[in-house]
Amino acid sequence: MVLENPFIPYLATLKSAVQLTPDVKLLRIQLESPAVKASFDYKPGQFALLSAFGEGEAPFGIVSLPRRSDGLEFAVRRIGTVTRALHELELGDVLGVRGPFGNYFPLEDYTGKNIVIIGGGIGMAPLRPVINKILEQRDDYGNLLIINGARTPQDLVFAPEFKIWMEAPRTKLQLTVDRGDESWGERVALVPDVVKEVAPSPDNAIAITCGPPIMIHYTLAVLRELGFKDNQIVTTLEAKMKCGLGKCARCNVGDKYVCQDGPVFTLEQISQFLEQP
Amino acid sequence: MDSELIQQIRNQARDLLESGTVKGVIGYERASDGLTARPAFVYELAAVERLIFDETCTHNLVIYLRDKKAEKMAIVVKPCDSRAINLLLNEKQIKRETLFIIGVTCPGVVETSWNYKGQTLQARCQTCQLSKPLVYDFLVGHEPVEWPKAVPYLNVQEMENKSIAARRDFWLGQFERCIRCYACRQVCPGCYCPECFVEQLDPLWVGIRIAPKENELWQIMRAFHLAGRCIGCDECERVCPVDIPLSLLNQKLEKKVKELFDFQAGLSPEEQPPLATFKKEEKLGFEE
Amino acid sequence: MRWLDQLLQERILLAPVRVEGLILFQPVSKVEEVALDFGNTTFSPKEWFLPPTETLFSMQRNDGQPQLVPSMVEKDVVIFGLRSCDAKGIALMDGPFLREPADTLYQERRTRTSLIGLSCRQAQPECFCTSVGSAPNDSSHVDILLTEIEDGYIVQVITDKGKALLPQALVESEEALPPPPELQAVPTKQVTQAVREFFNNPYWGRLADRCLHCNICAYVCPTCYCFDVRDYSNKGSLERVRSWDSCQSAGFTRIAGGYERRATKGARLRQRFSHKLLYFPEEFHDIACVGCGRCVKSCPVNIDIREVMSDLEQLEAKSGS
Repeated sequence: MVLENPFIPYLATLKSAVQLTPDVKLLRIQLESPAVKASFDYKPGQFALLSAFGEGEAPFGIVSLPRRSDGLEFAVRRIGTVTRALHELELGDVLGVRGPFGNYFPLEDYTGKNIVIIGGGIGMAPLRPVINKILEQRDDYGNLLIINGARTPQDLVFAPEFKIWMEAPRTKLQLTVDRGDESWGERVALVPDVVKEVAPSPDNAIAITCGPPIMIHYTLAVLRELGFKDNQIVTTLEAKMKCGLGKCARCNVGDKYVCQDGPVFTLEQISQFLEQP
Repeated sequence: MDSELIQQIRNQARDLLESGTVKGVIGYERASDGLTARPAFVYELAAVERLIFDETCTHNLVIYLRDKKAEKMAIVVKPCDSRAINLLLNEKQIKRETLFIIGVTCPGVVETSWNYKGQTLQARCQTCQLSKPLVYDFLVGHEPVEWPKAVPYLNVQEMENKSIAARRDFWLGQFERCIRCYACRQVCPGCYCPECFVEQLDPLWVGIRIAPKENELWQIMRAFHLAGRCIGCDECERVCPVDIPLSLLNQKLEKKVKELFDFQAGLSPEEQPPLATFKKEEKLGFEE
Repeated sequence: MRWLDQLLQERILLAPVRVEGLILFQPVSKVEEVALDFGNTTFSPKEWFLPPTETLFSMQRNDGQPQLVPSMVEKDVVIFGLRSCDAKGIALMDGPFLREPADTLYQERRTRTSLIGLSCRQAQPECFCTSVGSAPNDSSHVDILLTEIEDGYIVQVITDKGKALLPQALVESEEALPPPPELQAVPTKQVTQAVREFFNNPYWGRLADRCLHCNICAYVCPTCYCFDVRDYSNKGSLERVRSWDSCQSAGFTRIAGGYERRATKGARLRQRFSHKLLYFPEEFHDIACVGCGRCVKSCPVNIDIREVMSDLEQLEAKSGS
């Protein structure tokens, strides 16, 4: 359902806020209008523009699965003015939602394949609903390898869900951090290096990656080296966004608008236009 | 066109590039109208022939040094431009050793815009007190010719003679046309802040609205940020697409600074700009 | 021209007006204010469809409950005296703005605005409309087209909307339309392909050396439409405002945290040309340039789109594709 003026957000209230890491909160919001709630259908990969009224609006991947949570979940990293305002909202406060926007991960096309998920820092957010969807329909997919990195152990965003991921059949979880601490027993390495070390096979596989631009840049190179073709490598991109409607001409990577043609892209679609970091 | 002068510039450029002394030469070349000039960046010997110098070379090329800090560059500099070099040296924005300055004894430049070349010298040339650049590594051109200079700040005085209400009406009317293209800021050697105050979100000083109140705030604050720093190249006024008389505004503040502190920016690479310098013995105006 | 007075009765009439040294489309209250002897206006009429600043919506609180109030478009408008290139510019902007979901503010203005074009009897040195799919007397995108002749104007009624503007009596004319002026030719056949092929060529960085990254080219252009959006709040009430922006401005693609997709001067300058010559035509089948030459005239450092197109064609020719 689209409101008359596509710039006007739906109103929603903040239902819960869970501190996942020192700077990331999991916000769950509920749309106020029952009609909007009923028609707000989305798939993993899509995003919404959240308004902290008075501060501004910014895009966030929807990290919940529809029908699996009461409301829309977003993992918001506190880094600028809008995210700070979202972090400072109290339960019951009103915020704005526009969406769902963008394309989604074509998970139907991945059935029967081995899936390699490579996420860094807050980049795990759009990948979480992909993992959960695969786990929901586990038999439809091949092996699942999750490589998850962060700056420090405290910055691993979905740590509380690791146990569920690890216990799923034919699923491996490889963790890594840039800086460990006394209690950290796993790897201390950069994500692209871990991908190189683990060396997942490209046979019948799809690799999906998301993270800081520099991590994506090197991870894409490593995946190519390992033999993944450009149409087997998938990423989801962040961009500065203002309208979310393909009109303000800001969020494009070459001829693709992240808000309309993305945020999910295969490397084949965007490799020519990716800027060097 | 002074072909001897142009040859001198080209010879210098050739020598500097051939010897590897500089990565590139920033100078002037003919614009697409075949009549006026535009900035040129020459990195290869074959391109040296593009360099020219004539009365349409109004641009202040010093602004480009801010983006070329990593390499040693040669730059063609008029006397007014050399004041900008001193300003940036003084404010520690560029390093002298990264520059090879080809100074030109400039006979003045005329008003130009695309496909148009004026017949009279620009106002700033008519009041210019410099006959050759204040800083250079190599000087090209003829012995500077002295010509009668006009009295500076006459236009400022004319405005000062008007009532405050008349002045306010005049300027608010001018600012209404502003479209906040920021060309004045982009072309100004003194405007080099990595984040301009208009881009700040927190606090939101001006914001993005293109409207009279915000325009006024933008124009006046920029003028004040340049007080005691403007070197009078008048490029801001040339580039303004809506013909706001920006140099008149800046000159008012320069005149004030000159009267109060007997100071003009850019005359030496080591000066103490009055609005950035504190002296214990300063008159604060409220004691005694 | 008395006819224009009549139109003024129930509509806002926008026409070229001399303001200091500029020619701007402004609301007029008397026919005498209209300038008729001019090449082209300083700014295109796009500001009357996408204003430099406008409020998208405001937020009010009724009994503590927030309510979002959209902005309204007020009156019917007639734009008089626009050139064929500018009319095409508006038609090109329809592409992104009317594409689903339509920008309702733009759409409303577009529906309620009628366009009375004025054929060019003379070309300006910067004009090149015929190289980009338009012409000095192109009537495709206006409701009425006027062509000046010795003792008046030939009036071509193009659309029903145009018909509705005319008074009852109009003399049928047998007069032939005068030929349009000749224009320079700029090579444009290969530009789209060339931009794609030479995307990573150092040409863009070199060209950007002299670019000031001011917003002039985008603001005077009839088909540039980038905008910025910001919230303004004051004691509990809120306005979400959009204003003109340009892909050239520093920080255009900078996100919180500091990452910037188009960080270099070359990347930013390339974006403007790639958008106009490659991305826009891929989606809307027409390059986003109408040959008005305003950017050529206004660029303080003479970055000339005709030269860029010619350079790209040369790169293409040299590569032998």
